[in-house]
Amino acid sequence: MNFEKKSEINIDRSLGDFSYDVDYTFDAGVGLSESTIDYICDVKNDPDWVRSFRKEGYRKFLEKPMPTHWATKDLENIVFENIRYYLSQGSIPKRTWEEVPEDVKKTFERLGIPEQERKYLAGVEAQFDSEAAYSNIKAAVGKQGVIFVGSAEGLREHPEIFRKWFGKVIPSGDNKFSALNSAVFSGGSFIYVPPGVKVAHPLQAYFRINAQNFGQFERTLIIADEGAEVVYMEGCTAPKFETATLHSAVVELVALKGAKIQYITVQNWSSNVFNLVTKRGVAYEDAQIKWIDCNIGSRLTMKYPGVVMKGRRARGEVVSIALAGEGQHQDTGAKMIHAADETSSNIISKSISLGSGRATYRGMVHVPKHLKKCKNNTECDALLINTQSRTDTYPAITVRGQGHSVQHEASVSQINEEQIFYMQQRGLSEAAAMSLAVNGFVNDLVEQFPMEYSIELKRLIDLEMEGSVG
Amino acid sequence: MNTLSIRHLYASIGEKPILEDLNLDIPQGEVHAIMGKNGSGKSTLAKVIAGHPDYTVTSGDVLLHGESILGMDPQVRARLGFFLAFQYPMEIPGVTIANFIRAALQARLPEGEELEATDYYAELYAKMDTLGIPRSFTARSVNVGFSGGEKKRCEILQMMMLKPRCALLDETDSGLDIDALKVVASGVNALRSSEIGMLVITHYQRLLDYIVPDRVHVMAAGKIVLSGEKDLALKLEAKGYDWVSA
Amino acid sequence: MPASTFNFHPLEESTGVGWFQELQKKAWEQFSQLPSPGRHDEAWRFSSIGNIALEGFHQAPPPTDEQSILERSQGITPLAAQLVFGNNRLIHADTSNLPQGVILVSLQEAIKKHEDLFRRYFMKEEARLGSLKLAMLHLSQLKEGVFLYVAPGVVVDKPIEIWHWVQGNRSALFPHTLLVAGAGSHLAVIEHFSSLEEEPLLACSLSDVVAEEKASIHHVTIQDWSPQAVAFHLNTTSVLQEGSATSLQLHRGGHFVRSENDSRLFGKGAKSMMLSIVSAHGAQEFDQRTLQDHLSPEAKSDLLYHNALSDQARTIFSGLIKVQKRAHRTDAYQKVSNLMLSDDAEANSMPGLEILADDVRCTHGATSGELNKEELFYMMARGIDESRAVKLLVRGFFQTVLERLEEPQLKNYLQLLLDHE
Repeated sequence: MNFEKKSEINIDRSLGDFSYDVDYTFDAGVGLSESTIDYICDVKNDPDWVRSFRKEGYRKFLEKPMPTHWATKDLENIVFENIRYYLSQGSIPKRTWEEVPEDVKKTFERLGIPEQERKYLAGVEAQFDSEAAYSNIKAAVGKQGVIFVGSAEGLREHPEIFRKWFGKVIPSGDNKFSALNSAVFSGGSFIYVPPGVKVAHPLQAYFRINAQNFGQFERTLIIADEGAEVVYMEGCTAPKFETATLHSAVVELVALKGAKIQYITVQNWSSNVFNLVTKRGVAYEDAQIKWIDCNIGSRLTMKYPGVVMKGRRARGEVVSIALAGEGQHQDTGAKMIHAADETSSNIISKSISLGSGRATYRGMVHVPKHLKKCKNNTECDALLINTQSRTDTYPAITVRGQGHSVQHEASVSQINEEQIFYMQQRGLSEAAAMSLAVNGFVNDLVEQFPMEYSIELKRLIDLEMEGSVG
Repeated sequence: MNTLSIRHLYASIGEKPILEDLNLDIPQGEVHAIMGKNGSGKSTLAKVIAGHPDYTVTSGDVLLHGESILGMDPQVRARLGFFLAFQYPMEIPGVTIANFIRAALQARLPEGEELEATDYYAELYAKMDTLGIPRSFTARSVNVGFSGGEKKRCEILQMMMLKPRCALLDETDSGLDIDALKVVASGVNALRSSEIGMLVITHYQRLLDYIVPDRVHVMAAGKIVLSGEKDLALKLEAKGYDWVSA
Repeated sequence: MPASTFNFHPLEESTGVGWFQELQKKAWEQFSQLPSPGRHDEAWRFSSIGNIALEGFHQAPPPTDEQSILERSQGITPLAAQLVFGNNRLIHADTSNLPQGVILVSLQEAIKKHEDLFRRYFMKEEARLGSLKLAMLHLSQLKEGVFLYVAPGVVVDKPIEIWHWVQGNRSALFPHTLLVAGAGSHLAVIEHFSSLEEEPLLACSLSDVVAEEKASIHHVTIQDWSPQAVAFHLNTTSVLQEGSATSLQLHRGGHFVRSENDSRLFGKGAKSMMLSIVSAHGAQEFDQRTLQDHLSPEAKSDLLYHNALSDQARTIFSGLIKVQKRAHRTDAYQKVSNLMLSDDAEANSMPGLEILADDVRCTHGATSGELNKEELFYMMARGIDESRAVKLLVRGFFQTVLERLEEPQLKNYLQLLLDHE
């Protein structure tokens, strides 16, 4: 059996591929300079410390070279001067869908957000280009003292918690794109869960890019106080434009003693989006942070969610699914920094490369000096579908001292042809058999997503193979 | 009418000929057995009928209910009613038995028609009970981590669910203890009817005590060398295969 | 590492051959122009090269104690042939028992007597794993070395042994080894890199191994430099159709040792096995970079590196399996294991895969862990004291690598050597 002969494999992106003409009240114009940053500060009415934080970020952004000595040269195709850094219809999100402007509301209705909110979410924030158009939390959850607002409201209304952690997990100069985000950030969520509060249903954010040549730079900060638990989900889509779009978020998580944070992402940007995201969490004693990350869309994604295990027995986990289709490069991975005794981390990554798609795993596991009994387990499996498909694995593991157990394993395989034949013998078409086999490959990870997401995911990964067989 | 007709079939893998001038007819409603030594071409015959891409048919024909199937893809043959119980059933990680059989049944329905889930599960559970397969197996990946006996039962379960018009069982008895053999045989016997033709490939006559064939064929060097009534199997068992070729 | 910080100059002594001098001159120019390696360089990630003093070394003068060198050149027996070098000079050669069709000569003699053959293979593959500058230093300073050519079909049934000795404070050594196994031939070579004294030295060795169609070659390297040595070992292996090459490196000595092992599978069905045993202690750093480059279909490569680390020792392993387009049905495996025996040891592992073809079977793994406490307890319960038990377990950890070596004479010799540690 030879799959090379088959025609293309399509991934269903029809859901997000539409856009409406929207009149923006605020527009920072094209290109980036000090004055762009001042414009954003003025529109958002930023306090002085934020203005200087942004300027500092801008300086670092200019200083830092593109990381092309290790990353793909495709980064050089980002033209920073051509990007629009701020577009909004106002910076105060609405609390009810009725108040949301019609064209924006239409977008989110088409994406099914209000319906999902009614069904199973504890709170929703819906960001449209630079600002959240809608943000609401169920009354019962609000009563527990849970704060779920946009980042701007967070820094205005809750400065005592916000300032304590903002930019502390990921310093603005962490990398070129975290610096850029620090300069022009807008939107994203601020969440605080008080001690002992376990938020029963997930909080969700939906990020939508509507405008062309636009850069979205949301900034999310989640703090789970001692013994608190929260699940946060984010989804994202954009229409497919001819020109490149940039999405560069920074997400910081803080899990205090005994807290648990689960952060779930289903990334389905259109194939013109550069998705360059920095995500990291700090886990204190007995705390757990788990990143569940699924990357299906974008032109290039570079994202390596990390956990710094700062307290004893803290645990970090990354579960990652990447699907690199025609022309896509999913450069994903994980960073696990062990900084206390008896900390443990786990990384499971599965990628699928189709057509000319390229999936890259980059990992970092660090166990520094004088720690005791740290554990890491890393498993990376890659599935290659076509002859032109590509996969890479680049882990870097440092272990100092004895008494630790660190293991990394990776494998590359392709779809078993005998398996396909077996399914065909039962009457399935070759395309359906391939689709089942691919879904089977990631099934154990898909099941870690909440039900609603896993159904959506299975649908997204349902490969449609048209045309010739044999 | 013959369920399956094989006419002067020649097939090879790469350059190596395996089947040479094989002829066989299975009339509707009958069960035939093929016996033969290892390497006589029995399993090749099964794969060639199913349409495995590794084998090339160099001449001859295979007719399913009078229709030539050689040019067809495996799934088209399957949907026409041909079922192969594999000698070595494949493991398919991550795909549950329930979803797999459902997908196979769905593939047989006309475009736009959906399989009725409640009826499907009712039937699936009933048949699993018949075969002594615990219901928890529906959530397990197809054949992954199954014992030899469980794999074979899973094959028979699929056969019972897909209701073929022509079934070929390739060494379904291998690796089974006597109890498992009885369960598998009862599943096969339950399917016997005037509508279906079956071909049972086996190395030992033991299976034929439980699935009693209408005719027995002996295969050697890629062709049928001897055919007879069911007592032929007993003779073979007593005298060995060399008796045939001698 | 600018050119001026070395006490080296372009060689003035003539080998009498224009093309060779020309190569050396160009190499010097390239060495002078290439940037020095540093940690910012991905190929030197985690390396301490920035802290290593590379100045103050000079071309080693003739050895003062040839007698000791010869006395101590006692290795494997029986042998097919032996060459002994001291400070870049050939001081002993016993090649009388070699079968017909085998050329085993010094580099100077190869240039004089087998010029065409030698030129066909000499320095044909570029150093790609980070040390091009050092390869150019090697070439520019090269004076002597080994040329071994086995004609097609010839089987050398006993190992050939080569010793590279160094003597003298701050001597610099540039051992060169070119091994060619012609089509269908069989060959086993063992090379020793040893110091007569415990003084600082700089070694920059380069070896090229070629296994032509259906040839089989085993190449064992035993590195036993002085504890103050800074050493670079650059090795390239090329395997043609259905050829097979096995290399095993045993690293014991040195202060800073960088080893690059580049295996290129040029022909269909080619096989390469790369093995390494590192016993790292004190403040030693072993920096190993490997490449399994699959350029043809149906080739097989297998890498197994075991490091035991005690004291403040550091190891770096960076390995890449690269499957080029069209190298279908590749079967590649790569595994590094670090056995951590102290709280101050540090192991860095970067096992990598770059797969550009489908229908491949590639796996890699890296583990870092401690001795099995249950095994240790079991031994102590039998009355073995702890330090002995640890030694036995470490020996067992190394044995797993030795088991992969299929050449019985080399395997036996290495087992004895490790048993007497």
